[in-house]
Amino acid sequence: MTFLQPWMLVALPLVSLPIVIHLINQRRFQTVPWAAMRFLLSARALSRGYSRLRHWLVMALRMLAVAAVVFAVGRPLSRGWLALAAGGRPDTAIVILDRSPSMAERDGVASDTKLATGRRQVAEALVTLGATRTLLLVDPDRGPVEVADPGALESLPAAGASAAPADMPRLLEAAHDHLRASGAGTTEIWICSDQRSNDWAIDAPAWGGIRDAFARLPQPVRFQLVAFEAASAANVAVRVNAAVLEGRGDERRLSITVALARDAAAGPVTVPVTIEIGGASSTVDVPLAEREAVLAHHAIPLGAATEPRGWGRVSIPADANAADNDFFFVFDEAPPRRTLVVAEEAAAARSLALAAEIPPARGLAATATIVAPGALETSGLEDAALVLWQAPLPDGTDRAALEAHVARGGQVILLPPSRPEETSDRTFAGVGWTAWREHDPPVAPVTWRTDRDLLANTRSGAALPVGGLVARRTCGLAGDVVTLAGLPGGHPLLARAATSEVEGAAGAGPVRPVSNVAFLTTTAAPKDSTLAAEGVVLYCLLQRAIERGLLPLSNVRLVEAGGEAAAILRAGATPRRLSPPVAGAVTEPGWTAGVYALGDRLVAVNRPQAEDAATLVDDARIDEAFAGLALTRIEGQAGGTGRLVQEIWRGFLVAVILALVGEGLLCLPSPLRPETAARGPRAFEAAA
Amino acid sequence: MIPDRQPRAFLDPQALARLAAVPLVARKPMVGGVSGRHASPHRGSSVEFAEYRKYVPGDDLRRLDWRAFGRSDRFYVKEYEADTNLRLCLVLDTSGSMGFGGAAQPAAGVRGAGTRADGAAGMRRIDYARRICGTLGYLAAAQGDAVGISCAADGLVRSLPPRRSPAHLRLVFDVLDEAVPTGETRLPEVLHELAETIRQRALVVIVSDLFVEPAALESAFGHLRFRRHDVAVFHLLDPQEMAFAFHRPTRFLDMEGSAAIFADPVEIADRYRRALDDYLAGLRRLVLESGIDYHRVLTSEPVEQVLARFLVGRAAARGLR
Repeated sequence: MTFLQPWMLVALPLVSLPIVIHLINQRRFQTVPWAAMRFLLSARALSRGYSRLRHWLVMALRMLAVAAVVFAVGRPLSRGWLALAAGGRPDTAIVILDRSPSMAERDGVASDTKLATGRRQVAEALVTLGATRTLLLVDPDRGPVEVADPGALESLPAAGASAAPADMPRLLEAAHDHLRASGAGTTEIWICSDQRSNDWAIDAPAWGGIRDAFARLPQPVRFQLVAFEAASAANVAVRVNAAVLEGRGDERRLSITVALARDAAAGPVTVPVTIEIGGASSTVDVPLAEREAVLAHHAIPLGAATEPRGWGRVSIPADANAADNDFFFVFDEAPPRRTLVVAEEAAAARSLALAAEIPPARGLAATATIVAPGALETSGLEDAALVLWQAPLPDGTDRAALEAHVARGGQVILLPPSRPEETSDRTFAGVGWTAWREHDPPVAPVTWRTDRDLLANTRSGAALPVGGLVARRTCGLAGDVVTLAGLPGGHPLLARAATSEVEGAAGAGPVRPVSNVAFLTTTAAPKDSTLAAEGVVLYCLLQRAIERGLLPLSNVRLVEAGGEAAAILRAGATPRRLSPPVAGAVTEPGWTAGVYALGDRLVAVNRPQAEDAATLVDDARIDEAFAGLALTRIEGQAGGTGRLVQEIWRGFLVAVILALVGEGLLCLPSPLRPETAARGPRAFEAAA
Repeated sequence: MIPDRQPRAFLDPQALARLAAVPLVARKPMVGGVSGRHASPHRGSSVEFAEYRKYVPGDDLRRLDWRAFGRSDRFYVKEYEADTNLRLCLVLDTSGSMGFGGAAQPAAGVRGAGTRADGAAGMRRIDYARRICGTLGYLAAAQGDAVGISCAADGLVRSLPPRRSPAHLRLVFDVLDEAVPTGETRLPEVLHELAETIRQRALVVIVSDLFVEPAALESAFGHLRFRRHDVAVFHLLDPQEMAFAFHRPTRFLDMEGSAAIFADPVEIADRYRRALDDYLAGLRRLVLESGIDYHRVLTSEPVEQVLARFLVGRAAARGLR
């Protein structure tokens, strides 16, 4: 139980007052010579049962009354009747709000969203608790922000809805870093979330470090998790998987692929999907029988237009969650998918060029040019998306050109030269080749990153057949790399440079969380690996790299809301919002869904796809993640009107009254029998 | 009447004068050595007709009822009651519990106890018993009956057999004066012993608080009844014992020597009263079944009133005025 005035509990020893009074009373006895002892002995023997119990009950009730008075004066707080945790008034309260789109879910048409309910309840709790300092933490990059008035938490722009997921591990790390740096006293961290798996990333290895880091903090930290359960109402999410311009002139049309998804399979319904482009809208009925439905390659004629690019919105009617009813898209004529393959021998580069020049979709143009080392600067590098480098690490003009390419966002994949020993002193992006290593028997990758980057799973969740590759010879790497695919013994097959030397150079544009330089430690030659024979992996790898390299070349961009989108929008000219603002959402560009004009470029910001998947993290997993820490779970409900924390001193006063009434009833003399009541000298004389 | 120069505190001359108007009579025939005021199992020469008996040779012809012979043509002898004297055996309980009550008893915490209706303080149980025994002894001696006394505590402490002489009465008074309440109560054993030692029928008056097992008392009373004694009991109780109106924690010291008891009177008062009630009810049932002349007495009552009730009750049962 928590008390607003815990120092009043020093009066708790007063509970022993009835015992002390009883003992004093026992010492003030009188001594009487007595003749009728046999009746006293009999009476005392009879009183050992109920009378003794009554005696102790009376004593207990008196002690209870005193204790209840002390507790009432200490102003006890209730944190939900089933979630009472020990603690007092915190010195610092940090509110971590999960503002992800799933928190916009409602339990009914008129009810509040989970986020609004949580904000209100946490604000009320903070006002009741009266923490010395209140901080709001929604962006791990910016850290906690001081909130002057906890009661105004609901109206803070930063506490509004967002289209970005909540990265709970990073948010907790930011809270920990702040606590360690500020040296705050007793701290309560209020987490308001619906426990979506994409927000919590409960399988991330970071949780162990977070748990240990909080456990090592000198100040006591308590966690209050306001966990919202899944809303009962059905919810459908809409998303655009692809929006591709096709045709030319009057034949121009937009081929759009729309996906619908809902939380749980229910009866078949028809969802009217409204597609709005340039103020004109059209509605298409999409049948939804199972959990997912796709409207594939729906063609929308655009006609001849002076402006090649544009944006639009796909929306569905309102349901339980308004945040996933809209999806914004941008379109433009696709830039050429140009790849430069720099190889020592042209024959060795053929398989690479072949994989790069096959476009992934109709209407896309892809080219791959094989150039010799030293000719890079004159080979049209400025409009290339990807450079495949299978030669000694660049030097001189090649190196400068390649660094410029990386700096503007172009992608580079380096493959080992035939004789790496000759240039072992050279590095690129801090990484250099060492020597070839033969594998007999050949080895296959045992680990690779499936969540992101070049070898991530497909959109449908299927893994690439990376395990089917066989490497007969690999070249060693020297330098800091992040392994994307690893061979037995920890040797990397595909790795990305941990830091990019060229990152942050003039005109580099947005800060990239990873470098644009990757190292493939084998070649596509049959004597080295089966990359060419098992072409799927090589093709996907290269096409994804090309996609990444096209981003700075394209005038339109589709990004997921969050820190990365915000960085992109911050980096260039002042962003101008083209789509109408979302009520109740954060105002900072990049954190809410919409379309922004960034100079000549269009950027569409949307929620990540993982937000549409309604998988929740088990309570047991969260308890496991917080094992050893003081975590209290408070069940929340969207639209709930209850208070998380309330003063319950009235209950203790009622307990005082009940205890005193009970004590009075127990102390009432038992009803006298008629013959006993009539006893007295006169009555006795009459009887005698 | 009795030359006794020594003043006796337990004798009230005025009360004696008033009580002398009512004779002390036995409810059963007595066997005395001399003529007296009490019925005898033998036929005698009093004026009280007893019965007719068939004439047998040798009977005094002067006692033949000729009127009966005239009516029935049979010879009957007319017989009359014989009046004899009484042997009064006083049994005084001198156990420790008889010292309870009176001014010596701490009355702290007791309300309404130990005071008489007329405001006079109650007296110690032994003093009250002395008054009863002394007054009854005096009245018996005054009407020519023999008086003896036995003191019972943890045994037969002292015993004087019944005698008619005034000098013996002084000895009885001396025993009363010297009686000190001490020791445990073994009244039933003493009564058994007396039942065996008192050879002739007697009026046995027992003055005690009777704080003994009723079953043991029943046996002793039965023994006395078996020996054809007329048994009267004065059961002395103190108002404090009845009311038990203590309010503070109290350490009760046993006046007969066993361990003290510490108790909260408020807690056990009800059960104490219940135990006392059960005991008194059992005792009443006992005396009703055994035909004992039982008198329950509060020591706050005037002795004269108690004895008047005792004497008048006996006289009325005998048909005397």
